[in-house]
Amino acid sequence: MNKEEKVKLKGKIVKALPGTTFEVELENGHKIYAHLAGKMRMHYIKIIPGDEVLVEISPYDLTRGRIIRRY
Amino acid sequence: MVIKTLAELDGIRRACLIVREILERIRESIRPGISTYDIEEISVKIMERKKVIPAFKGYAGYPGNICVSVNEEVVHGIPRKDKVLKEGDIVSVDIGVIYNGFYGDCADTFPVGRISKEHKKLIEVTKKAFNIGIEQIKEGATTGDIGSAIQKFVEENGFSVVRAFAGHGIGRKLHEYPEVANFGEKGEGEILKEGMVLCVEPMVNEGTYEVKILEDGWTAITIDGKFSAHYENEVIVRKEKGEVLS
Repeated sequence: MNKEEKVKLKGKIVKALPGTTFEVELENGHKIYAHLAGKMRMHYIKIIPGDEVLVEISPYDLTRGRIIRRY
Repeated sequence: MVIKTLAELDGIRRACLIVREILERIRESIRPGISTYDIEEISVKIMERKKVIPAFKGYAGYPGNICVSVNEEVVHGIPRKDKVLKEGDIVSVDIGVIYNGFYGDCADTFPVGRISKEHKKLIEVTKKAFNIGIEQIKEGATTGDIGSAIQKFVEENGFSVVRAFAGHGIGRKLHEYPEVANFGEKGEGEILKEGMVLCVEPMVNEGTYEVKILEDGWTAITIDGKFSAHYENEVIVRKEKGEVLS
């Protein structure tokens, strides 16, 4: 079955939290919690507050996301 | 006067995020040489993938899926194959989608390649005017507060604000009550209440604010042929301030 596509948006890391979770501020000012995608963890992409990232948000839960790219 | 429930607000939020994503993709793909029809095609492809319906198609008989207005066109430009963007143009893209019955409606103006300082300022002032407008939003403020703040800022910068079109309420319909004019006097108009959703959309002209509609029945252009920029976003009215949705 076709899944609904996720929304990809740019954001900025505000805070690093335990468990490779981050607080990300989206361009519209909304703050969401996002965890690091497995692929990025495998390649040890390090992320610190202030980084610009691409997050993927499911349309079902707009408060959580998945970081899929660092710029 | 439509006060939205929390669940409705959530649906509108989702619709807006999808519009924002489409606009970001378009920002990346705009370059000299592509036509306004190409821009429409990019957006329609993403809409299909996201399973959202273009909200403008067929609205009051509008023939396009989105509105793409180049240079002196103010709003409602119908995408055409022979309208090709060239270096130095400014293009405003207005997109509306329906997601699960909720409307998302946003617009932004993008530069094509390198543009002159004057036009860069026009785009910046338009966006800033929006931000200044929504700063006025809180429970008990009026639509006239928003309009007068926008008008004052735009005119201080030597531009003019279009009178013929206005912002609007939004939700389960594309245009809902109240109307949010981009000019006016403080304290005029409708009183804002928490839970209302508004589309604030300043349209800023370089020259005069007068516009005329072309023969196709839709495209609005400035009378003096000078450039025009457009910025639109949805805002939820909160107790203390407005919450921007995308």
